[in-house]
Amino acid sequence: MSAAIPAAAVTGVGVISPLGDRPGAVAEALWAGRTAFAPLPDAPGAAAAIPDFDATRYATIRGLRLYSRPTRMAISAVQLALTDAGLTGGAVPGEGLGTVTACTLGHIETLLEYDRSVATQGPMRGNPALMPLSLPSSPGAAVALSFGAKAFSMALAGATAGLDALGLGARMLAAGRARVCVVVGSFGLSPELALAASRAGWLAPAGDPRPFDRRRDGTALGEGAVAFVLERPADARARGAGLRAAMAGQASAFAPDAPATAAALERACAAALGEAGAPELGLVSAGASGSVEGDRAEAAALRAALGRSAGDVPVTAPRSCLGDSFDAGGLFQCLVALDAIRSARIPPIRGLEQPEPEGLRLVREPLEVRVAHALVTTTAPDGCCSAAVLSRIDEG
Amino acid sequence: MRRRVVVTGRGVVTAAGLEPEAFWRSLMAGTCLLRPLRGFALAGMEEFLVGSEVSLPPQDDPSTGSGQALPADIHSDPHRARCVQLALAAGRRAVRDAELPADPAFRRRTATVLGSTMAEERQISDLTDRLVARDPAAVDGTLLARADNHRLAALVARQHDLGGPTLVSTTACSSGNAALAMAYDLVADGAADAAVAGGADTFTRAVYTGFLRLNALSKSVCRPFDRRRDGITFGEGAGALVLEELEGARARGATILAEVAGYGVSNDAYHITAPEPSGDGFARAMRQALSTTGTGPEQVDYVSAHGTGTPYNDLCETRAMKMVFGAAAAAIPISSIKSMLGHTNGAASAIEAVACVQALLRQEVPPTANLTEPDPECDLDYVPGTGRPRRVGVCLNLSAGFGGFNVCLVLRRAP
Repeated sequence: MSAAIPAAAVTGVGVISPLGDRPGAVAEALWAGRTAFAPLPDAPGAAAAIPDFDATRYATIRGLRLYSRPTRMAISAVQLALTDAGLTGGAVPGEGLGTVTACTLGHIETLLEYDRSVATQGPMRGNPALMPLSLPSSPGAAVALSFGAKAFSMALAGATAGLDALGLGARMLAAGRARVCVVVGSFGLSPELALAASRAGWLAPAGDPRPFDRRRDGTALGEGAVAFVLERPADARARGAGLRAAMAGQASAFAPDAPATAAALERACAAALGEAGAPELGLVSAGASGSVEGDRAEAAALRAALGRSAGDVPVTAPRSCLGDSFDAGGLFQCLVALDAIRSARIPPIRGLEQPEPEGLRLVREPLEVRVAHALVTTTAPDGCCSAAVLSRIDEG
Repeated sequence: MRRRVVVTGRGVVTAAGLEPEAFWRSLMAGTCLLRPLRGFALAGMEEFLVGSEVSLPPQDDPSTGSGQALPADIHSDPHRARCVQLALAAGRRAVRDAELPADPAFRRRTATVLGSTMAEERQISDLTDRLVARDPAAVDGTLLARADNHRLAALVARQHDLGGPTLVSTTACSSGNAALAMAYDLVADGAADAAVAGGADTFTRAVYTGFLRLNALSKSVCRPFDRRRDGITFGEGAGALVLEELEGARARGATILAEVAGYGVSNDAYHITAPEPSGDGFARAMRQALSTTGTGPEQVDYVSAHGTGTPYNDLCETRAMKMVFGAAAAAIPISSIKSMLGHTNGAASAIEAVACVQALLRQEVPPTANLTEPDPECDLDYVPGTGRPRRVGVCLNLSAGFGGFNVCLVLRRAP
């Protein structure tokens, strides 16, 4: 597929994050290098939380308060995205609406609460209202139920599931299985997950993730949710919707062992770029988060995937400000790509003072440059790699 | 132009057997494997702990497998990593059955797509117990990796050095079918040339206690479509298929067992647990399955039912059959092997897909066991008792999950 006849156009965006609940606000914060990291209370490392997150400000949904924090964030982001796309109030019939949800850990807080009721009060005394929300499927089920999505509701797990979900949604749309598809990735903080990340040694002890910097020593966590509305361009144009960008390509690959990560991400990039028609890239929105091994593998993969243009294509790393937000992370990177395509502004990599990788054009100061095509890349500690290409759609 | 996708390998890990032929003979004989559990305990709930248990032979100890090293907790604590072990056992059988080429280039183009309802929920109940006991080390550094259900697919991929897309579906009890559907798309679209796809699940505290409290757990035994049916009986297990692109499979001389023609999907968007009562969700998934694969309703020879044995599911499914097939529904055998294996959650539809492959290969349809008193409202041919010979050209594999996730896979005879 080429950018001229893309299979899926982004027509709406919704974001819930510590840096704001409007795409423009998040872009401004990244441009200025602002973060919301705060030290963890009881372990080394930092996390960015959304203070006073209240889903009822965004959505009026029956049963909302029972849903877990990451599920409420996902629902809020989807509501914002549908509003942004002008698709609220029954504008799209349920039979035409599909959802793809990436919220791997979204059930954990409810499962712990449900399971605690069983562990302390006995097996016959579990809270039946919480049980269905304790399943790993519950965030996806709640999203589909909240918006009456009857075409399909798919759900994926994994640290690269956000980008994988975007590709899956575009393919389901291209196959005609829905008229509108909403893709959402969400990650919500909990004390247990933050402590586990710290004890795993994933977090920079001083709370300052430095992607691609020689001194990097881990990441920080950041909660949030990002949702995209996808439509076939002809359908979107027919209803007079604005086309923000094309979802032009997506591919995933797996590294059976850590040394194979760079090669796997390179394969994913090559396949995604191939699907997008081998466009001339104006940006890489990388997943680098301050991980010693992960960032190194990503840099090697990008050098190989970009080839002769590796030294020319600006590379930024939004997790320097947002932290690692698991399933939402890849979609936050897409948000940065969309903003660059729209506004010709690329935010810098915060904290990057001593770049380690050679042969890449790492963005250290805010950069104003026109972007027609952006590559988005993510890797996961378990070996999963995913890449996507977003492209400008020229009207007319 | 989409590529045709065929089945070249089967992996089945169930109480009915660990090899496709033994599994099939057990099903065809109508052998119910639901018994009091020995390997899973929950104090105070003993009378409800009935199900089908898998006994894994020593060679399924992951430490003896080929491929890359696996996380230490899988070796040191088989109980906690039970779901991963079942997935690995099914994956290994499917890879062996397909005689999957060892060529690294082939394996790099092979995807791994698995599904599970609960995956390693035992890891979380273990954490709960330690939190309740105020163990200061309750949360350890491996929690995130263990709680990430993606590792189910990652570990199977790692064991066989598979480098294609590696995905995990979490659509509750249709996860196995959803995984097969996603794998079908990856191979049909050329994102991979082959895929190991299926599902795995085991007994968990949340599922047993929760289904009891939701009045969905049988107080006797799973009796799909029977007048006396009163709910689900659980089982553990895993199922996997190797899917390959047709021309490539032919070129390497693979035994082609069946074809995956495509699938249909729908969502009820009705209730967080209950299915939409009219059967509309099931019917839309079946209709899409037929229309997108160019299959006429008259071509369908067997339907593998979701058939959980709850009063509402079996009625919904019966209604959906009538909505899609009209009066002809009565002539299409539809059975539930959950009557023998119990509901293996995310593994169920993957195991049932293996059963569909066997039905196509052997030209037989498996039965619904424990169905002795027909329900006047469930008046189709559920193949009660034992299996029977039948010309089988096309099978539908129907599944649903809590939250209304419906998936219907279409399998047909090898081209």
